[in-house]
Amino acid sequence: MEGSRLDIKKTFGFCLILVIFILLPFEILAEYDTSQQEILIGLIPEQNIFKQMDRYRPLASYISEKTGVKIKLTVLSRYGDVVERFISRGMDGAFFDALTGTMAITKLNVHPVARPVNLDNTSTVRSYIFTRADSNIKSVKDMKGKRAVFVDRATATGYLFAVAFLQENGISDIDRFFSEYFFTGSHDSAIYSVLDNRADVGSAQSTIFNMLILKDPTIKRELRIIAESEEFPETTLCVRRDISLSVRNKITEALLNMNHDSEGRETLKKFGALRFIGAGEHDFAPIINLAKRANVDIKGYKGKR
Amino acid sequence: MTVSSRIQRQLIICLAAIGVFLLSSLQVFAAEKRTIGVIMTGDIPYYAKMHKAFTTKLAKEGYGDAEILLQRPYPDLISWSNAARKLIAVDVDVVVTFGGPATLAVMNERTNIPVVFAGVHNPAAIGITGKNITGSMSKVPTSSVIRYLKGITPISNLGVLYSDIEKDSLKQVEEIENISKDLGFKTVKISIRWPEDVRKIKASGKLDALLLTCSASVNMALEGILDIAKANKLPTASVLKNDINSGVIITLSASPEEQGELAAEKVIKILRGANPNTLSQTSGKNIELIFNLKENMSIGFKIPMDLVTEATKIIQ
Repeated sequence: MEGSRLDIKKTFGFCLILVIFILLPFEILAEYDTSQQEILIGLIPEQNIFKQMDRYRPLASYISEKTGVKIKLTVLSRYGDVVERFISRGMDGAFFDALTGTMAITKLNVHPVARPVNLDNTSTVRSYIFTRADSNIKSVKDMKGKRAVFVDRATATGYLFAVAFLQENGISDIDRFFSEYFFTGSHDSAIYSVLDNRADVGSAQSTIFNMLILKDPTIKRELRIIAESEEFPETTLCVRRDISLSVRNKITEALLNMNHDSEGRETLKKFGALRFIGAGEHDFAPIINLAKRANVDIKGYKGKR
Repeated sequence: MTVSSRIQRQLIICLAAIGVFLLSSLQVFAAEKRTIGVIMTGDIPYYAKMHKAFTTKLAKEGYGDAEILLQRPYPDLISWSNAARKLIAVDVDVVVTFGGPATLAVMNERTNIPVVFAGVHNPAAIGITGKNITGSMSKVPTSSVIRYLKGITPISNLGVLYSDIEKDSLKQVEEIENISKDLGFKTVKISIRWPEDVRKIKASGKLDALLLTCSASVNMALEGILDIAKANKLPTASVLKNDINSGVIITLSASPEEQGELAAEKVIKILRGANPNTLSQTSGKNIELIFNLKENMSIGFKIPMDLVTEATKIIQ
């Protein structure tokens, strides 16, 4: 009798421990859900990093205020290694450009949330290949032996389109075709390099190109666009799939509705956009196509040599 | 004497004659020392750096024993012309000119001696062309220099320092005037031919910044210009690279070293028999953007970080 009571006690104790073990992860998950009041968002250095922070800081403050989730920003020093850096820096999401976004969706399984609508009512970007207007370069054959400037190997608008374009024009080896080429790390620097005659031909994103022209209209006269790409999705906020659903929804909602309140509109103005729209994986299909044209396998592409 | 011994004797005589001919021609070749005349538009650091790179490259390519006759005339029409005439009179193998005015002075003498120029802002625009002339251009966009200046301070009145007898400098003034309306500033032209002309800067009314064109006269008066700029807290920009500690705040310049090397490459080809006509004019590929943060801070200005990141060189 005594022995069976002891057994019942033992069994009850075991069951209690088992229940605690089963329920504990739910407890922790619930706590994670409610305690995730700060998330780290990465920024791709499409512009000079100082300008980039100036542009995104008001947006981060607005979202933080609206959602109660503190948004911390960090600028990735360069486009390449974006996947590795996303993991190593423990980011929860990032504003990816079209190519890094495609790489992140493929390799990190991130979820596209929203992307801005530019002042010209488009939510897409193009790549421009350009020279100084007073240069003799008018076509691909004139580029032979010249100096080229690109943004980074991990950009569609600042490199990959140029590679595809040159390939389609019979140039498969840019190492031999140009006398030299270099990477500036940002689109505005690539544009300034051509303006200053530090490079003869450049490749950069249309939105940054047009932003500089808006600030200084003389730039338009000084540069000539030789080729432009099809449309690619604008810089898109993508977040980790394991981020709490409520946080993801709050952020998405705040972004998509910000044009409906005056504070949001003021923030959008500083950011240089009309509104944010929802984003999906299908938006990145043109990049998959571009990669094929440039003979690049996105899964194995690291955006560096 | 048998027939075979006669043939043998004739063969020996023949070989001896060939030997004498070869030896004498070798001696002539050895005795032929090349003479290269060089004219700088003015005695300024930019051309000095160019000349150093030029002679270094020549030596590296086996022409270290070439006689170099260097002329550093004061930047005026008579001195340039005299320098050109001197070199033509000694019948140098090639004339090398640094800067537009020196090149034009040699062209005016209508010589058949090949001419290789370097450090010319815009050769075509000032009429540098001809069958025995080739060289390299050092053009940098003046609009870019002004853009960087405007990044430091708002500019309503830009003092542009030039020389009215230096055609490439005048050409730059023209370029600046053409863009002044679009970039929203007024060009205040200040001609500098003598160091004492720097006092014209003070007399030019309110200025917001100074831009030094490629004029040799302007760059020879650099010290005086920078003293006034400092005293009046005026940011300065130049299109010619000076000494590191010169005190110019923004420099956008074609590398003088590269210009010197390009000149040497062309001279070597000419000395080896190439016709200057067949050597195409080239442009400098190495453009340097230098910011002097130290000097800028000393006059109370700050270069925004987004501009600093564009620099190829920073002086702190």
